[in-house]
Amino acid sequence: MKVAYYKGCLASLSAKELDTSTQALAPKLGIELDELESVTCCGAGDIHEAEPDYYLHLNARILAYSEQTGADTLMTICNVCTLNLRQANWQLKNDDELRTRVNTNLETVGAPPYHGNVEVKHLLWLIAEGDGYETLKQVAHKGLRGLKVAPFYGCQILRPSKILGFEDPDKPHSLEAIIDACGGEAIDYPAKIKCCGFPIIQAREETALGELIQPIEQATEAGADVMVTPCPLCHLSLDAWQSKLRERTGRDFQMPILHLSQLIGVAAGLEESELKFKRHVVPVQPALEKIEV
Amino acid sequence: MTEAADIHDWDEPTMDVALKIWRVDEDGERDLVTYELEAPEWACLLDVLDIIKDRHDGSLAYRKSCRMMICGSCGMRMDGRAILACKERMKPIVESGHVPTISPMGNLPIIKDLVVDMGPFWQKIRDVKPWLDPGYDEASDRERIVSQQQMSVIQKEALCIMCGCCVSECNAMESDPDFRGPAALAKGMRFVGDPRDQTAVERLNDLNDEHGIWDCTRCYFCNERCPKGVDPRDAIAKLGAESIKEGIDWDLGAKHANWFVTSAKTTGWLRETDLVPKTQGILGAVRETKFALTLLRHGKVPPPGPVHVAADVDESRDLYNLVKEQGLDGALGIVQGEAALAKIEHIEAERAHEEEEDSAE
Repeated sequence: MKVAYYKGCLASLSAKELDTSTQALAPKLGIELDELESVTCCGAGDIHEAEPDYYLHLNARILAYSEQTGADTLMTICNVCTLNLRQANWQLKNDDELRTRVNTNLETVGAPPYHGNVEVKHLLWLIAEGDGYETLKQVAHKGLRGLKVAPFYGCQILRPSKILGFEDPDKPHSLEAIIDACGGEAIDYPAKIKCCGFPIIQAREETALGELIQPIEQATEAGADVMVTPCPLCHLSLDAWQSKLRERTGRDFQMPILHLSQLIGVAAGLEESELKFKRHVVPVQPALEKIEV
Repeated sequence: MTEAADIHDWDEPTMDVALKIWRVDEDGERDLVTYELEAPEWACLLDVLDIIKDRHDGSLAYRKSCRMMICGSCGMRMDGRAILACKERMKPIVESGHVPTISPMGNLPIIKDLVVDMGPFWQKIRDVKPWLDPGYDEASDRERIVSQQQMSVIQKEALCIMCGCCVSECNAMESDPDFRGPAALAKGMRFVGDPRDQTAVERLNDLNDEHGIWDCTRCYFCNERCPKGVDPRDAIAKLGAESIKEGIDWDLGAKHANWFVTSAKTTGWLRETDLVPKTQGILGAVRETKFALTLLRHGKVPPPGPVHVAADVDESRDLYNLVKEQGLDGALGIVQGEAALAKIEHIEAERAHEEEEDSAE
C-alpha cells in the first residue's frame, strides 16, 4: 500500500529516531512511503489557537500535496498532526463554500487545490486495521519475549472521538493488540488514556508535571519494563522531562519510553542505526538486555 | 406499598437491571454496593436510581430535576465517564450483560454518595462575570438588532447547562485545582463573543491570568464528555485567538503559540531551538541551560545553526499574508469550521444506517 508520508516537525528534528525507525519498518509492513517535501508544520494546536484561519490553510496545503501523490491515505506518526489534519480534512470535505475559498487562496500562492480525496490515518491505525496484526506477527520474528510494555495512547489520537473515531476513546485496544502480536505483555493502568502535559510544559511546567507523573508512576507500579507511545510529543515529555520529575519529587523512575515504530522495530530485528536509542534521555538498553535483545 | 411505588407498577415490558454504586457517607467512608432490580425497558439511569430510592434504599443521595437534559443536575460517572443520568439509556447496557459502576463526578468534593459540592464550580462561573455588560446603565428606546451571523460565534457556548461533566474529567484541573476550567472558560467565551457586550478586552485580560486560557492542556476530555455539544476546548481556543487578535499576548502560552506562527511562515517547520527563548524569554532560557544541555547531548534539541527550511516555504508565507488580508481573525477562524464539524454525527449515523440496511439485504 502506497501512502503519502507526513512526518511532522518533531520527527524531522528532536525525534529523528521516530523517522528513521518508521522508514525502516514501513516496507516490512507492506507500506510504501511517499514522503512529502513541500509541506510545513500542521500548527500543533498552537496555530489553531493563535491564527485559526492560517491553521486551516496550512493543513489544506498539506492535504493538497498529499492528494497530488495519487495516494488515498496520508500517513501520520504524531497524535497532534493526526488531529489537526483530520479536523481540517473534515471541514474541507463537508463544506463546499469553505473549500472553494481555501482552494482559491491556495491557487493564488501557487499551491495545488484540494479536492477532498485523502484520508488521514496514523501509523497505529494502519497496523491495527485489516490484516495488520497478522502481518505484524510475521514481521515481529524476533519477538519481545514477554517484555512488560505499558501502552500510553496520549490524548489526540483518542479525543475528540468524533474527529478521530478509530476506537473507543475510553477503552482503546490497538496498542495492546500490537504489543501482544509482537510477543510482549501489555500492562494495564488507568492513566494510559490521559494527558502527558506536553502542550503546556513550557508555559505551565508545574501543571504539566502534575499530569506527567501519573502515567509514569502508574506504569512503574504496575511493573512495566518500558512504555510505548504513538506520539512524539508524549515521547518527548515522558522521556526528557523525567529528569524534571526527579528534581521536583525526588523520584527517579528511569522508565524507558519507546516510539511505536521502535517497539515493533525491536521485535522485527531493526538495527541500532535505525532505532537510534542513543537519542533517548532515559537509557533503553538495560530493559532490552533483560530480554537479551 | 408506598405512593411512590404505585407509580412504578408498569404495564410496559420490563428488564432486570444490575448496577454497582459507590456509596460515600459524610465521613468519606466508601462502599461499592450492588443493586439488582426490575425496571421498564424505557428506563434511563436516572429512572433506575429513582426506583432504587423509592423501592430499595431511600438513603441513596443524588441530584435531579428536569429529567430532560436541560437542568444539568444529574451529572455523575458511569464506568469512570462523566454523564448525565437522564441521558443514558439502560436497555443496551442490560442487553450487553455489563454491570456498570456509578460514582460521583471528579474534580469536586464529594458530599454524599453521588452528590458533589458544586461550590467551587459555581465560584469559577461567578469569577468570569457571567452576565452581559452592554456598556450603558439605561437601555435606549430603540431595539438593538443583532445578526444571526454575529451570534453564531457563541452558538455552541450558549448551549451550556453547567452540569460539570467537562470539569469532572479535566486533566489540567486535576493537577492545578485553581485552573478556571472548561465550563467557566466556555462561559467566558459566551460573553467575550457576544456582540452586545462592551467589555471583551477587559474580560480577555482577566482570562489570561495564571489559571486561565493558557493553563488548558488540550486533553479534549471536555469535548468528549460534554452532553450538549458545547465543545469547551474549542471555546478556550476561541478565547486564545481573540486574545492574540487584541494583542493580549504576554502570557507564555500566547508567546508559545505565536512562535509556531512565526516558524510556519518563515521556515515552514517549527524552529525548536528558539522555542524556549521565544516562549520564556532570555532569562527563562538561561534558567533552563542545564536541562537544555542534557537535551542537546541526546540530540533532542537541534544545535544552533542553519535552520531546517521546508521546500516552497514562500507559499506558506504568502498564504499567511493573504489570509491576514481577508480578516477572519480571532474566533471567526474557528467558527467557520463549526458547520462542517456539526455534520459529523449526522453523517456517521446515516452511514451506519446504510450499512445496516446493506447487511439486512
